[in-house]
Parts: sequence; structure tokens; C-alpha cells
Amino acid sequence: MARSPMPRADLWAGTGFLALGAATAAESWRMPRFAQLEVNPWSVPGLVPGLIGVVLLLLGAVLMLRAVREGALRPGAGLAGELGFDAERRRRTLLALLLTLGYAVGLVGRLPFRTATFLFVFAFVALFRIERDMARGLLLRELAFAALEALLVALAVGFVFERLFYVRLP
Amino acid sequence: MPGGLQLFLEALSGFAEPATLASVLWATLLGILVGMMPGLTATLGVALLTTLTFKMPAGDAILILICMYVGAIYGGSRSAILLNIPGTPANAATTLDGFPLARAGQAGRAMGIATAGSFCGSLIGMLMLVLVAPVLADFALAFGSYEFFWLAMFGIVISGQLTAIDDPLKGWIAGFLGLLVAMVGQEGIHAYQRFSYGITELSGGFGLLPVLVGAFGFAEILQVMKQPAYEVVRNAGGRILPRLAEIFRYRRTIVRSGFIGTLMGLLPGVGEDIGAWGSYAAARRASREREKFGKGSVEGLLAAETGNNAAVPGAIIPVLTLAIPGSAPAAVLLAAMFIHGIRPGPLIMIEFPSFVYEVVAMVLLASLAILVLGLALTRPLLYVLAIPRERLMPVIFVLCTVGAFAIASRLFDVWVMVGFGVLGFLLREMKYPMAPLVLGVVLGPILDKNFRRAMVLSDGSLEPFFTRPISAVLALLTLISILAAIPRLRTATLRLAARFGGGRAVAGGGSGPGS
Repeated sequence: MARSPMPRADLWAGTGFLALGAATAAESWRMPRFAQLEVNPWSVPGLVPGLIGVVLLLLGAVLMLRAVREGALRPGAGLAGELGFDAERRRRTLLALLLTLGYAVGLVGRLPFRTATFLFVFAFVALFRIERDMARGLLLRELAFAALEALLVALAVGFVFERLFYVRLP
Repeated sequence: MPGGLQLFLEALSGFAEPATLASVLWATLLGILVGMMPGLTATLGVALLTTLTFKMPAGDAILILICMYVGAIYGGSRSAILLNIPGTPANAATTLDGFPLARAGQAGRAMGIATAGSFCGSLIGMLMLVLVAPVLADFALAFGSYEFFWLAMFGIVISGQLTAIDDPLKGWIAGFLGLLVAMVGQEGIHAYQRFSYGITELSGGFGLLPVLVGAFGFAEILQVMKQPAYEVVRNAGGRILPRLAEIFRYRRTIVRSGFIGTLMGLLPGVGEDIGAWGSYAAARRASREREKFGKGSVEGLLAAETGNNAAVPGAIIPVLTLAIPGSAPAAVLLAAMFIHGIRPGPLIMIEFPSFVYEVVAMVLLASLAILVLGLALTRPLLYVLAIPRERLMPVIFVLCTVGAFAIASRLFDVWVMVGFGVLGFLLREMKYPMAPLVLGVVLGPILDKNFRRAMVLSDGSLEPFFTRPISAVLALLTLISILAAIPRLRTATLRLAARFGGGRAVAGGGSGPGS
């Protein structure tokens, strides 16, 4: 199967991998060598991460060069175009990211698990359903269903993990 | 092998209890559901169940995980046939002939054939597991640090190449990223904390399960939610129970696909998807009805479904004998075995011989369960496909969050899951495969420890890496894999082969995903 070229994305990613590889190699070089303990120099902790850093740097450089050869610096579809991120996909991805990160980083651990889960599931279902069904005027029904689902999920997940499998919840 | 047979029968009779059989049924059914739903993969299913079962006795937990694994790889065929969307990446080849059959009003027949193929594939893989695992474990007793280093390196290279067959460079980058992730935290020789920067939570490194749940669960949720709506088809036309004569007619395809699937499973980090693609490509090359492939060929569907399910026991073989996973879900299975105090590796046939045969019995029970559940619940299972994704995905994310938290009860692991989920999403969007990344995370400590040990033993000389017989073979295989992936070299080699081989068998050299 032919590879679908995405030179701009590859150029960015290649630069990132090159930088990551270089940083890893440099940090590995700075790791202790325990010379005062007369440790065998081939057993030092920085050896393998350093080599991995160098390989990553080289692979990143190859990716960058290939991207440039494939036209990363010439005018073209742009990064979003290459990855197929049209306005609708961008909006959906951002909404999903906002909701999930809000739950996992913002709510969990700060609110009781069941409350946090209820709020998250309700917001997720409601916002995505409303986005789809707004034109059909199903708003109230959708909100009620979203609330019911959120309540059931919050209670059921709590029950299954805590009572059936004795697993601690956040 | 009377000893082996006796151990197998003992294991089987040990499982013949109502509670155990009930576990087989619910775990396989859950696996089928997980496989069916786009956005839920076998890896995520096994990872979430690992967190749910880690307080159970080891045997029960591993049985449940194997049932989930076998069930999910099979379950993915349903959405492949009915929606043209592979439920798991392993079922991508199934869409090629499954969906055209469904469109022609033969969805029921296609699902029956997929069930028969999956069952046969699991059985062939299981037989290979019985035959190969003891031999491989015995052989692996001769492995030293040099060989384990090359095995890890070969795993990264071959997994990177075969899971990104159209762009191996990205596969290798994913593999080395995985190795880098594994370098974070305390190393095994001097107990030095690498890349931790005084952060206590990083001193033990990233947990494999939070990383996996992020890369396979959260990343998939973002990908599914990104897409605009897809049409759901609820159509189970045609006879569901497969005709034995039809299956018997394609016995050669089944056996060939079973072998190819198992072999692909055996290769580190390659797994079920390539098992299906490899079997499909081979079946098309050997078929007398080649023109039907891609248009609703029963043979093509059988090959793909036999190949991916045969890869499941295939991927378990290196888990048991080398402690190296054959696929991403097998990596979770390996982690689960460690959590439960089972130490897979070359010594397994000496330390826990009965466990290997218990695993064989588990695969048999899971295979029987997919046959029974798959044929009996065809129509009720269709309702699952009608659940809108905006209702399903938040529930999956809640499970991902709880799953990441559960093993160590640390909120830090939830953040790790989220971080690797976003990273995994970005990498997937740019066509980087996830399997080599996971393999890298698993193989990192093996590669690190064995390379440094080997260098200490040889006092810095690289010679033994290339002169010890097994080491030399593994080094050569790694080199050939790298050279074969370089486009110009591959074209030149194929041209040479065509010139000296009379042009035979070269045309199929480019088989792989999409072929």
C-alpha cells in the first residue's frame, strides 16, 4: 500500500523527535558514572538511554529530511489539511478533549467519585447529543436521558468496582 | 507427549466447575461486546479487566483475561461485517469480504463463517501453543544476555516494520519512543532514578497499564469522537449456522491461515492484525477464485478470521516462554501474569509446567465459548451496535480513569493515562502504530539490563554479540529486516530475485495491509 505523504506533520514530528533524542542523549551523558565506587564503566545508568536518544535523534533527522524532500517547505494543504482536521472534526475533538480532561484532571480526586462521574457523563452525552439534535428540537428529552444515563453509570460503576471486585475508586 | 496430555487433562478437569464455566461465559461475552464496539479494542478490554481482577486468585484472573482476549478479537468481526468498521484493528482484513457479503443480504452467513474461522484459528493456534511452547522454552534456556538483547532489538525492528508496513520509519520511531518511556524511573543495576527529577511518582517509572489504557483507550475515544456520524446497519440476513461442507471445502485455507496467524502472533509485537493480513494475502495468492476477493469471498473472510484468532495463542507462546509479548493485548497479559506472581520465561517448563497446559485449556474453553455464544446470540448482539457513541464513549472514559487508578490507587496514574492518551491520539493521527510503542515499554528494561550485563561480561567488546551462534542469527534477522524496509534496497532485491528466480513468486512481495 502506498504511503500517504504528510510532509508538514512529518517535519514537525521529525523536529520534535530530533530534539527529544538530543535532549535524552545529553541528559544521559550527565548521569552519574559512579567512578568513585569503581563501577564497571559499561554498567553505567546513562549508557542505554543515551544510545536510545541517539537512535531517536537519527530517526527524527531522517523523517525531517524525507519531509523536506516531499515538499514540507513548499506551499500546500497546511497541517490541518494534511491530517484531515476540517472545522467539524476540530470542534468535536476539542469538545471531547475539554470534557475528558476536565473530568480526569479537574473533577476526579476533588469531588466524590459518583458526583464527578455523574457531572462528566451528563455533560458529555448532553453536549454531543445537543450538537447533533439541536435542529430537531429534542433538547429537553435529550437532557433528561443524559441525566438518567449519567446517574445509572455513576451508581453502577461505583457498585461494580467497589462491591463486586473490591477495587478502590479515586 | 503423555506428560503434557496428562497435565492438559488435569487442567481441563480443574476448570470443570460451574463458577469457572460461568466466568468463561461472561468474560468471553464481554470480550465479544468489547470487540464489537468500535473504539474498544482487545488491548483496552484486557487492560481494564486486569485492574478489575487483580484481587482474584491467579488462575481465575488469567482465565478471564484470556477469554476477554479471544472474545474481543472474534467480536471485532461483527462490526467489520455489518458496519464496514473493524471492531478491533485485527478485523480490518475482515471488512474486505465480510461487508460485501452483508451488503448482498448474506450478513448472517458471513457472521457464521467468521465464527467458524475464528474457532478453527483458535484451535490451530492452541495446538501450536502445545507443540511449540515447550520446545521454545527448552531452546531459550541457552539464551544469555547477548541473545536477550538481540531478541528485544529484533522485536522492536520487526514490530515497527510489520505494523507500519507502508512506512516502517514511523513504526521504528514508535518502538524507540516506547523504549525511552521505559527508561524513566529506577534502573535495575545501580538503582539510579533516571529522568525522575525528584518527582516521587516517577521514581518507579510509568506503569504499563496506565500507559496502555491511555494509548489504546483514551486515544481511541478521541479518534472515535472526532469522526462525524456513521450509519448503523442492523441486518442479519441469511443462514447463520455455517455449513460444514462449506468450511471443509476451504480446509487448506483454514490450515494455512492458522499457521500464518500463529507465526505472526509468535513474532514479538506483531500480533493479530498482521496475522489476518498475512493470511488474507496468502489465501488470495493461492486461491482459484482470486477474482472474488474483495467482493464477498467466503475464502477471504475465512482466511482473515482464522488468521487473527490463530495469532492469539501464537502471541501467548513468547509471553510464556520468553516473557516477551507477541502482540499488544499479550503485553497486558504478560503484565497481569507478573502482577499475579507468575514468572513467565525460559524456566517456565521447569518451574510451572502445569501453568502452560492450564493456559492451553483456557484457550480451548474460550474458543468453545466464542463458538457457542457467537452462533447462539447473533441477533441479540446486533443491538449493541445501535448504541450511539456519544452515550458509550463517556462510560468507556470513566472505566479508563478507574482502570488507571485501580492498580496503585494513585491519581498520578490517571494523569499518566491522560498524557499518553493525548500523545497516542496525536501519533495515531500522524500514522504511527501503537503496538511497537507498547512493545518498547515492555522490552525497555529487558534491553537495558541485558545490554549492560553483556557489555560488562565482554568487557566492552561487541564481538560476542555477533559471534555466538543464536546471537548471530538474531543479529542477521534484525539486519535483514532493516534492509528489507529500505525502499530502494527492497526494489533492487526484488529485481535481482526476479532475474535469478525466473520472475516467479516475486509479484506478491508487496503484500500487507491494503493488499
